[in-house]
Amino acid sequence: MALALRRLALLLPLLLGATVAQAHPHVWISAVSELLYAPDGTLTGVRHAWTFDDMFSTYALQGIETKQKGVYTREELAPLAQTNAESLKEFAYFTFAKADGTKQRFEDPVDYFLDYNNSQLTLHFTLPAKTPFKAKQLVLDVFDRTYFIDFQMADKDPVRLVGAPEGCKMQLQRPNDGSASAQALNEQTFASGGANANFGMMFANKITVDCP
Amino acid sequence: MTRLSPLRALAACFALIALFVTVDGAIHVAMAQTPFGGPRPAPEPQVGGFVGWLLARQSEFYREISTTIRAAKSDGSAVWMLLAISFAYGIFHAAGPGHGKAVISSYLVANQETAWRGIVLSFASALMQALVAVAVVAVGAWLLNVTAKTMCGAEKAIEIASYGLIAIFGARLVWTKGGAFISALQADRRQPALAAAAHQHHDHDHYHGHDHDHHGHDHVHDAHCGHSHGPAPDELAGPGGWRRGLAAVLTVGIRPCSGAILVLVFALAQGLFWAGIAATFVMGLGTAITVATIAVVAVFAKDVARRLSGGRDGGGALIMRGIEFGAAGLVLLFGAGLLFGYIAAERTTCL
Repeated sequence: MALALRRLALLLPLLLGATVAQAHPHVWISAVSELLYAPDGTLTGVRHAWTFDDMFSTYALQGIETKQKGVYTREELAPLAQTNAESLKEFAYFTFAKADGTKQRFEDPVDYFLDYNNSQLTLHFTLPAKTPFKAKQLVLDVFDRTYFIDFQMADKDPVRLVGAPEGCKMQLQRPNDGSASAQALNEQTFASGGANANFGMMFANKITVDCP
Repeated sequence: MTRLSPLRALAACFALIALFVTVDGAIHVAMAQTPFGGPRPAPEPQVGGFVGWLLARQSEFYREISTTIRAAKSDGSAVWMLLAISFAYGIFHAAGPGHGKAVISSYLVANQETAWRGIVLSFASALMQALVAVAVVAVGAWLLNVTAKTMCGAEKAIEIASYGLIAIFGARLVWTKGGAFISALQADRRQPALAAAAHQHHDHDHYHGHDHDHHGHDHVHDAHCGHSHGPAPDELAGPGGWRRGLAAVLTVGIRPCSGAILVLVFALAQGLFWAGIAATFVMGLGTAITVATIAVVAVFAKDVARRLSGGRDGGGALIMRGIEFGAAGLVLLFGAGLLFGYIAAERTTCL
């Protein structure tokens, strides 16, 4: 009896490990984001440029007819860009903003288009804020909570403040890349079983803008 | 065998259920969303240790698949590399959601199934998943040259059908197992000792193959025989049970893995569709190994519970029926949760 229980206990880490592994991304996006400010210092919207990995880019281009093989013009990609813009709504554009702790919403995207370079598609679009707002502290999270998509802010110049008031400071917190493997399976891993509900949050890119 | 106090048996029962819930994995991914659509405020992000390591491996393997397919265009030997990576990816990936671990394990626990049967079901459903993925891409992309939007739409439709089937399958299991559980409850309340003695002869009908050879000394007194509402255990695990097992394979196997579809479309675009197909089947093999391992663990865990509760006359059967009923309920909950979007992590994301 005691032996059986001990064996059962031995199996636990195996099972826990197996289940908390959860989903892993199927799509990778390298993102550049611009925060757009009006002259009076209100935030009017966010302009994203998301570059997809080559496998997903190839997948997305499936069935799209072009005049020249392997070359996709902006016009030829227009229907796909529209599909993208429309489907993103379901996921709240993977863009979550808080102004001094209050959730802010975005309108449907405008000025969206795709371009294709080096076997990679880049989706450009602008999200207008539902109501432009001022904030002492703006927090913008870009991530997929289901982690089907892995968002990484681009290595170079990932976030730009466009027309931001004087003295605003931007800080980018990148997600942990998960490679810090030194941390062994510890008590907390078990205790925080519920925390996995926020699974995708661990992969959020957190942009914080503090303005005077 | 020493007799167990009811309390200890109950504790063991709870331990098993806790274990099972873990196997299920459903709880972890459920309801990550607030009613306002935003993410919940999260505790400090921490992706370390084993979890982080697993995730990192999966991602690495998956990303290497596209690189290797590209390489295979000019260098044929890269295909071997592709197959090796796909196999490893399958093993790791199946630990994540969506490969029927929960459904198959719950099914095995709900019924009097053997580990061997679990292995067969795991491999059959993984094979079917691979076949469906290849069929979707062969017909959609290769034959009809539809757009990704159409293909992803088809994938979603299949997905919803699969979740619906899981829910129906679970409802059916709940119906039969609920009957057995209620019978066991009634028998237990009426005259446990007598019921136990009277049903001693029934033992051999309930267990099959090595299952009963190893544990001949355990007497699980099937309290519901004689006034059964659901099918008797031997009906479930006997030759007819294979048909029921087929239902499990269909519900799980009908849903292709989105990862496989991406790989197949990519391979097709590179002019190496056959390599993509080979990779998909090898991936399925890896998946099957992981799912089968978890299924065997689930069967073993139930076996432990049976042994622990076996010492109690009457009550042991009640506990076993309770566990089976619980497992059946999990299948139903799981299917319903997937269907209505409470479990979001398994959704195909169409962009």
